[in-house]
Amino acid sequence: MAQYSTFYCGDSLFGLDIGYVQEINRTSGLTGVPLAANCVRGVMNLRGEVVTMLDLRTLLGLPSDPNSAAKRNLILKCDGDIFGVCVDGVADILTIESDSITAPPSNLSINESKLIKGVYQSDTVLIMLIDPREILNASLASIRTAA
Amino acid sequence: MFQDDELVNEFVVESAAHLAEVEGQLLAIEAAGENCDPELVNTVFRAVHSVKGAAGFLSLTVINSLSHSLENVLNLIRNRELVPNSHIVNALLRAADQLFSLVNNVETSNEVDVSHLVAELEAIASGQEDVTQIVSDHHENFEAIQEQISSAIGDQSFGDMAAYSPAGVEQLLDDQSSSDSESPINSSVFEAPTIDPIAPVIQPTPSVKRDAKKEQNPMDKSKVKSNSDGSVSKPKPADSIVRVNVAILDRLMNLAGELVLSRNQLISAVSQGLKEGFEAIAARVDQVTSELQETIMQTRMQPIGSVFGRFPRVVRDLSAKLGKECSLEIEGDEVEVDKTIVEAMGDPLTHLVRNSVDHGIETPDRRRAAGKVETGTVRLRAFHQAGKVCIRIEDDGAGMDPVKLKTKAIEKGIISVEQAALMTENEAYRLIFAPGFSTAAQVTDVSGRGVGMDVVKTNIEQLGGTVDIESEVGKGSAVHITLPLTLAIVPSMIIGCAGERYAVPQANIVELVRVPEGEMQQRIGVVQGAEVLRLRGALLPLVRLDRTLKLRAANSKDRPSSANILVLETGQIRYGLLVDSLFDNEEIVVKPLGKHVRDLGYLAGATILGDGYVALILDVMGIAMQCNLRSIEAQSNKAEEVIEHGDEVHRLLLFTNHESELFAVPMAMVARIERVSSSDLSVVGSQNLLIYRGQSLPILRLEQNISARAPDEEQEKVFVVVFRVQDREIGLVAPALRDIRDIQMKIDAKTLREPGVLGTTVVDNTTTRILDPLELVRIKYSEWFEEEFTVSGDVADGPTTVLLAEDSDFFRNHVTRTLENEGFKVIGAVDGRDAWDHLQVVFDEIDVIITDIEMPRMNGLEFARAVRSTPNFSNLPIIALTSLAGDQDRQRGAEVGIDDYQIKMDPARLVDSVRKFASSTH
Repeated sequence: MAQYSTFYCGDSLFGLDIGYVQEINRTSGLTGVPLAANCVRGVMNLRGEVVTMLDLRTLLGLPSDPNSAAKRNLILKCDGDIFGVCVDGVADILTIESDSITAPPSNLSINESKLIKGVYQSDTVLIMLIDPREILNASLASIRTAA
Repeated sequence: MFQDDELVNEFVVESAAHLAEVEGQLLAIEAAGENCDPELVNTVFRAVHSVKGAAGFLSLTVINSLSHSLENVLNLIRNRELVPNSHIVNALLRAADQLFSLVNNVETSNEVDVSHLVAELEAIASGQEDVTQIVSDHHENFEAIQEQISSAIGDQSFGDMAAYSPAGVEQLLDDQSSSDSESPINSSVFEAPTIDPIAPVIQPTPSVKRDAKKEQNPMDKSKVKSNSDGSVSKPKPADSIVRVNVAILDRLMNLAGELVLSRNQLISAVSQGLKEGFEAIAARVDQVTSELQETIMQTRMQPIGSVFGRFPRVVRDLSAKLGKECSLEIEGDEVEVDKTIVEAMGDPLTHLVRNSVDHGIETPDRRRAAGKVETGTVRLRAFHQAGKVCIRIEDDGAGMDPVKLKTKAIEKGIISVEQAALMTENEAYRLIFAPGFSTAAQVTDVSGRGVGMDVVKTNIEQLGGTVDIESEVGKGSAVHITLPLTLAIVPSMIIGCAGERYAVPQANIVELVRVPEGEMQQRIGVVQGAEVLRLRGALLPLVRLDRTLKLRAANSKDRPSSANILVLETGQIRYGLLVDSLFDNEEIVVKPLGKHVRDLGYLAGATILGDGYVALILDVMGIAMQCNLRSIEAQSNKAEEVIEHGDEVHRLLLFTNHESELFAVPMAMVARIERVSSSDLSVVGSQNLLIYRGQSLPILRLEQNISARAPDEEQEKVFVVVFRVQDREIGLVAPALRDIRDIQMKIDAKTLREPGVLGTTVVDNTTTRILDPLELVRIKYSEWFEEEFTVSGDVADGPTTVLLAEDSDFFRNHVTRTLENEGFKVIGAVDGRDAWDHLQVVFDEIDVIITDIEMPRMNGLEFARAVRSTPNFSNLPIIALTSLAGDQDRQRGAEVGIDDYQIKMDPARLVDSVRKFASSTH
């Protein structure tokens, strides 16, 4: 049983183990980093620390939506690395029993299937659960291929 | 607790270095057993011995006694009185491990009990193998308890009081009391040194290992508990700890309290919806945070004296070793610098001080002979200057002889003879910083430790500092080091490009250049596809930040029309960085970047600007690499080379047609200059004519022949420059003469090239077009040349062939073109050697040789001499080309057999000369 912080990216609802979420804040003052990988949106000032912000849409292989302002940032702490993920909006915190998580459907795209470790469905919602370590791995891998 | 923390720290670092290798060496000794290499044992012995010596000096009694015992055993092995077996080596290894751990926790080392190890080693030394066996067995049983538990006490823990050797207790007490008496330091720690050792010892049992660890020292339970806990369970490397003055800490506490108060005020103001009063709160927060930052920076500051402290010893030992008398004066110990800098300066300063003693200060005899006091003085001074820290190392020794330095540098191939001749004394002194340079006649073990002055320089530059040297023969030398106060704050220029801001470290900025819109074309040129900036006559590779970082689409319109260029320098590379805008100079705090963007190459980090936004810090070197600037630089060098070989002095007549456009013609081609009334110039048919001395002289007007602007208004009097071409005269209208000057021409033969214009050069920062009168005439009066052509075409056996040796591409092409227009065949060669090679192959075709004088590899005179001394070629006519034919040149030329001299810029005469010689050979 674990608590998940859920958020929107496009129309879909995603969840992250709350243990990895250091904080959630509003997008402010993103500085672009030229020549960085596509998934890097930029760097921002988090109380004196310079934190790299990643674009979850790119990592998931979703089309970038010019209308999405990506209003919230999830600051994640994962194996000593602090990085941020821009999302469209934040939803609830849910407590999910581990046995109610099912394997992701096999028709996910390659990008999605790498990040999504399981799916939780209740009567009303369908939440794709993301493994933050995979966000880190996938984003770093995309840097290596870019280089 | 120690009087001299710096010395202790140094001891730790040095001892750790000594001991680091010991483990492997002991294992090698064990493996070799009876046949072990005495030298290897010796190495270990020496390492332990150094630790022992220093520990004794610092009253580190436990380390001292343990290393003493260790040394005893090693001594026996070294003298082949003891054959190392695994038991012995085990004991040695344990002792060495313990020694290492003691050294790393040096402050508590005197409270750690090592008597079991000492006893074990003594037993081995006295030949009591049995004891060794027993003791080691015990140890193997209680590995988890580790060495901290004395084996004797370990025995006690089983309640076997009888087995506890009384001698052991005595030894234990002896150790303790002796350390007490020897070291006053200990007495403050051990409040009750005579406490009964047995009482607390009974508690630990093997089943409570954790406790056992803590209870390791029965002598002082309460005190040692905490200390040894720190020392045993988490050994901390000595260099990760900063000692902070309590006063500073108190201040930080106060400031933090202030900050909390200000925050509370702010929160309450916001929650009450106050519209006013924020200024006061903001001012308060501003003040508190500034002070907080300042104070925190102070915690990183350390007195430079912590490095200086080691030098009295260094100088003393070194001068004794070298038989010199030398005193050290230290000033400014208290000057504070960032901890990182203090630590990093240790090695470079040691090297410099050693250098001063080794190379600077003379022997007493010599000093006496030179009329100096026998004792030399090395002065080490630190002081603040202009927000930086300066360190000077001065000696009153022999000084350096610039001539010797140059000679040595030439020998070592660091500089060429020509470079040496041009060097000033100061530049000669700086040669010692060149890689591969050592001033000592022989590399001594003192200074020649594989660390050269070049490494010293690199180290200092890595810290953002500079180093310079002054010297005077017989008086002494001084090395002057300038360092920034801190590394965390970098003075930087904030620049803007494509809407983002970036920081460029000031240290890399040489100057700022602004090129207004109107001068863009003139100042920014292209050399082989790469942009260059013309800066005071030199070409500088130009990098556009927006292109390099792909900041905007290539055809983007939002580019500013004028250019702001930062002239940057890093290592050997110097280039201009074109950005959109320049903002302020700021002292920025460097922040590390995350994994995703850390390795982008062009970034040195990030910083947070006053408005809270992040600005990236550009890595000046990284950008140079990003756009392969080495190759750009090489290209522009190449371009310059091409130009520079033609970089000879020519006398030019400078004039303007329209007042905004400057032109030049080579004086060598000018027959004379006339000043005439404009009314004498008339137009007949398609020709301009000047009625002149009763004759009509054909006249050229620039604006009618090349793309030049016409003069704004016709003046009453104009100048006419008269040339002789093919035995005829022709005049060129020059409305205003500017000057006749000898100019070192760097000719750009590509830009603005058109028929009649040789190329451009820069005179007084103005682009000047150099005219080719011959070609101008050819355009207008081509019929003048046709008959000539038929003449040279008449030669019976094929065209006359000319071998042309000329290193400047520009002149080679120009002369080739001229001669080919005259119907000659030209074989071009890039220098004398190349021409010589050609000559071997096609000598029977060559009728005339034309050679430049100044050329690389083989110059014109050498080439001519070679030709003359070879029978087959000795009759070939040789015409030399020079820029200014002086009599001296002619004489030298005549000596080696050059038949004629011609001036490069006067092709008509050259053609005549070639024709003359060609007809004589045919």
